[in-house]
Amino acid sequence: MRLDSSGVTVLRELHENYGPSWTYLFIEPLENLRLLGRRAVLALLGIAVGCMAVVALLNIGHNARVQAMSVFKGMGSDLLVCSIQPPQGNYTNPPPAVTILNATLLHQTLPNIVSAAPIISMNMDVRLKAHTLNISVVGTNAELARVLDLDLSMGRFVSRYDAHSTYAVLGAKVQSEWRSAGISANVGDWVQIGDYLFEIIGVLKSKGSTPLVPVSPNEAIFLPVESMQRIVPNPQISAVVARHPDSRTLDSGALHLQQWLSTQFPGFDVNVQIPHQLIDGMAQQSRMFSWLLSGLGGISLLVGGIGVMNVMVMNISERRREIGVRMALGARPKDIARLFLLEAVVLATAGAFAGATLGLTASWIFVHYSGWQSFTLSAISLPLGIGSAIVTGLFFGLSPAINASRMSPIKALRDE
Amino acid sequence: MNFPDQQSQHVICLLGITRSYPAGTTLHTILNNVSLSVPAGQSCAIVGTSGSGKSTLLNIIGILDKPTSGQVFLAGEDMSLVSEDARAKVRNQIIGFVFQGFNLLPRLNALDNVALPLLYRGFSRTIARQKAQLQLERVGLSERLYHRPADLSGGQRQRVAIARALVGEPELLLADEPTGNLDHDTAEDIVALLLSLNDKFGTTLLIVTHDEKIADRMERCIRVRDGRVAEDRYAPR
Repeated sequence: MRLDSSGVTVLRELHENYGPSWTYLFIEPLENLRLLGRRAVLALLGIAVGCMAVVALLNIGHNARVQAMSVFKGMGSDLLVCSIQPPQGNYTNPPPAVTILNATLLHQTLPNIVSAAPIISMNMDVRLKAHTLNISVVGTNAELARVLDLDLSMGRFVSRYDAHSTYAVLGAKVQSEWRSAGISANVGDWVQIGDYLFEIIGVLKSKGSTPLVPVSPNEAIFLPVESMQRIVPNPQISAVVARHPDSRTLDSGALHLQQWLSTQFPGFDVNVQIPHQLIDGMAQQSRMFSWLLSGLGGISLLVGGIGVMNVMVMNISERRREIGVRMALGARPKDIARLFLLEAVVLATAGAFAGATLGLTASWIFVHYSGWQSFTLSAISLPLGIGSAIVTGLFFGLSPAINASRMSPIKALRDE
Repeated sequence: MNFPDQQSQHVICLLGITRSYPAGTTLHTILNNVSLSVPAGQSCAIVGTSGSGKSTLLNIIGILDKPTSGQVFLAGEDMSLVSEDARAKVRNQIIGFVFQGFNLLPRLNALDNVALPLLYRGFSRTIARQKAQLQLERVGLSERLYHRPADLSGGQRQRVAIARALVGEPELLLADEPTGNLDHDTAEDIVALLLSLNDKFGTTLLIVTHDEKIADRMERCIRVRDGRVAEDRYAPR
């Protein structure tokens, strides 16, 4: 370029389209970092550990919550579970056993409770066609099917007219266990429980169980509660499950049920649990838990960010002369700032993606070996983990980069 | 401020330049009210003892440094009025620097070092490298394109630096003791190269040196003493 007689116009012309091209803008920091070598890897490691912590902790928290929630899944929000236990410490003179729950009286006294079923549960040998299974035998009434939402794959459930019949209903898993032993258990077959033969009148569909309800429907065989007296001398109702659809009066309903049951089971300890409240409590607890975990992740990110700042400050003070040369060759302050900021961001981004991969792997391994259900990805963990790592790099890279751009070229060049 | 009309056409025009640093409680004055102008195409040496202010003068002309007072006109534009960004553009487009310590970027090879000014100007990498290669061939380094500075001799490094200064086809070539780190024969080569560029392309050459023999080969010689122009003489033709 030659200067003509009017140098001013040439200068103006030159002001257009100045500055490095976009591709070069991104290639240069990459190459600089590649040339920086081990030091860049160390800074990257800091960010990666931070991001890994955030991603892993969020995912483990998420999976813990999913696991906890699955325990309660399928259970209505209007369920009441009452446990009935003999008083503690009084072994010499136990109160008389109560085998029958007066459902008619219950519905009269407590109209808000639409269905209620007693549970007497025993582990016993059950024999079908010379094959014996040790499973829990549950005495109950017809309303259990409604309380626990049980569906039948064949036949029917016990009814209120079956009190004096020797009928039995099989859980889904009981039937499949016999099937795997080569025995088909169908409606009309007879099973031997204790000294009695019971006729199978129905088989349940598979249904998830929850530890709050003292029965796992898949692995039990259901009899009318009155029949329990045939196979056990003094069967005692150990629990009552009930449904209370009006959620507004759930608390007082639970209290009334407890009071009424206490009159029906004199001398026993009656406890009513509301699973719905437990779920709420657990959800809140796990929310707090994941905030705590994110906080921990945030602290590790902060440490990683300080690592990035360290590397950038070292990097810039070591490259003062280079900054001076670049300025002498035509780099504007913003070109210098952009160069170092992009180096920090490239470092943080690479660290973030490495960390996210590691974090996912770590949480997958954790979930796998803790024997929880299959791993589910927490949707928010990746954007949150990667995003916060990049923002950290940007934040901590900003001040060194701006300092570098404000250097006077002659001071930077003089640096030995 | 007024200056003779013919001087406004000059590529460099300094008016009343003073540069001082605070040193403790007093002001240490390095340049004291220096005015001079250099027309396009001239080769000019700035000589003086160390500490006389000759390097500071060159840095102010190259707008790497700002004068405490006075005006610097480059290609007719007042550099004290323009923004930092505009100064960067002028350094890139009007000026080529050659330093005593070469100041090559150690992590880039010769080709990329030379291409750097063009990249800041917005050229694509391919074109910048092509032009850089051409320039390196011109200074006789076509065999060393992919060598890092550490793998080059002093003379070769200075040739790379000269190629880098010239790649943007500047109006003005500023050299601060370009032979200071070189042995005698290599120094001769470098001076001959600079002069041939001045001769062939009409690039204005400003060279700071303490070597009188080099100064004698320039058209003009400005002697700086105690922050003032002590002598301004033209070589006999």
